[in-house]
Amino acid sequence: MIKVKNLDPNFKYQLSKELGGENLEYCFNCTGCACGCPVAEVDPTFNPRKIIRMGILGMKDELLASESFWKCVSCYTCFARCPQDVRITEVLYALKNMAVREAEKGNIKIKTTKPVFDKMFIDSIKANGRVSEATVFAGYTFKTKGIQGLLDYFNMGFEMFKKGKIMLMGEKIKGSKKVKHIFEKAGVK
Amino acid sequence: MKYSYYPGCTLHSSTKEYDMSTKEVCKKLGIELVELEDWNCCGALGAFSYDYLLSVTLPARNLALVEKQNLTLAAPCNACFHNLAKANKLLKENADLKNKVNDIMDSPYNGNAQVRHLLDIIVNDVGLETVSKNAIKPLKGLKVAPYYGCLLVRPAEIARFDDPENPQSLDNLMKSLGAEVVPFHMKVKCCGASLIVGEEELALMLTRKILEAARDAGANCVAVTCPLCQTNLDTYQKKIESRYNIHLGLPVLYFTQIMGLAFGIEPKVLGLNKNMVSTDKVIDLLKSITITEKPQLVEVKAGG
Repeated sequence: MIKVKNLDPNFKYQLSKELGGENLEYCFNCTGCACGCPVAEVDPTFNPRKIIRMGILGMKDELLASESFWKCVSCYTCFARCPQDVRITEVLYALKNMAVREAEKGNIKIKTTKPVFDKMFIDSIKANGRVSEATVFAGYTFKTKGIQGLLDYFNMGFEMFKKGKIMLMGEKIKGSKKVKHIFEKAGVK
Repeated sequence: MKYSYYPGCTLHSSTKEYDMSTKEVCKKLGIELVELEDWNCCGALGAFSYDYLLSVTLPARNLALVEKQNLTLAAPCNACFHNLAKANKLLKENADLKNKVNDIMDSPYNGNAQVRHLLDIIVNDVGLETVSKNAIKPLKGLKVAPYYGCLLVRPAEIARFDDPENPQSLDNLMKSLGAEVVPFHMKVKCCGASLIVGEEELALMLTRKILEAARDAGANCVAVTCPLCQTNLDTYQKKIESRYNIHLGLPVLYFTQIMGLAFGIEPKVLGLNKNMVSTDKVIDLLKSITITEKPQLVEVKAGG
């Protein structure tokens, strides 16, 4: 049951103000997004219609705590099929951005490890201007699954290494300082 | 024909065979690729999850470089193409956002760059007739499942060049090389690439469905247009086989590798030895066929 007193009537406006969240309120709850969503087909806990509905109703705490939006695979199927141009994939980006900021402020704690990977990925860009796939993959795997996690990928990694597909040192561009400057000016820690 | 070339991070490391085959095929078709100097990572999809403004600004730096180079940008990766084209569209349409982004960057972007996917350029600028003429070793007998993935065709307002639900450009390209295209209902279903690190179990379930559909359709191989799709379908295929106790053994080739084979380029030069699932089956199949007749050009319109 939804408890009305727990709803945050301003939440939908906050979310609409985020980049990507602009069309949130256009949703008329038709379920077109959930039909054909590849993630919803294999994971019943993921439902884009429900996420949008919770956003409009102002179920801020529950939505941020549910973390289900991290499972969106960004395939844009719902975006393409939405009759109301809600731009669901983009609204979910807005939600993720919001969750990251709330977590940085210490207001929430994110349990899923997807943002850990995202952060390591962009940190790699910040340092060199390009991503070092091997370093980010190994770093993430070690941080979230430990030595055993890394060992689980040994065979795959070794095969890739033999085929010359693993670059131990990533590339650094000449303008890496300019890229770092972009992060600083955009306020991304 | 001269284009600016944006290989993206993966083509310089884990998917070198895409870079190799792209360069070989473009050379044959008279496309000159000039690599964009000092390009930076487009941010992929991780940056969007983290900070939207940053993920528009990272591609914007590249767009500013393209603008100076004054050439249309060719991107072989679906995700790079999506990010660059999306940022380009947002910056052309939203003056406020453009001001914000230009305020963050050292040199401004004025909104004059053009971004295209390599497949779009080959199919629409070069044309299938030219492609077909270069196919000195037509791929008769090779059954291909054409896999487009997501960001090559969706959202349509960014991708623009093919139908988002039933695209045909890759189908037509494969046919122009003499290959047989199998009916493939998973051609635009997502492989889960953006979750393969982070939500691996979920991503593997999505990838499994695509590979099984291609196998069941009788394909000898899958043709892909993106290094991220390829990694999921190819590099993780062994893991999917052992996890779900199924047999796939399906080579996953870049469309440029398949073109190269039809153009008579040596498999090794196209990096076919770098694909994780052995491509020998495809090479052997093509060796066993000796034909001289030219492939018939049958173009199907998208959307049907």
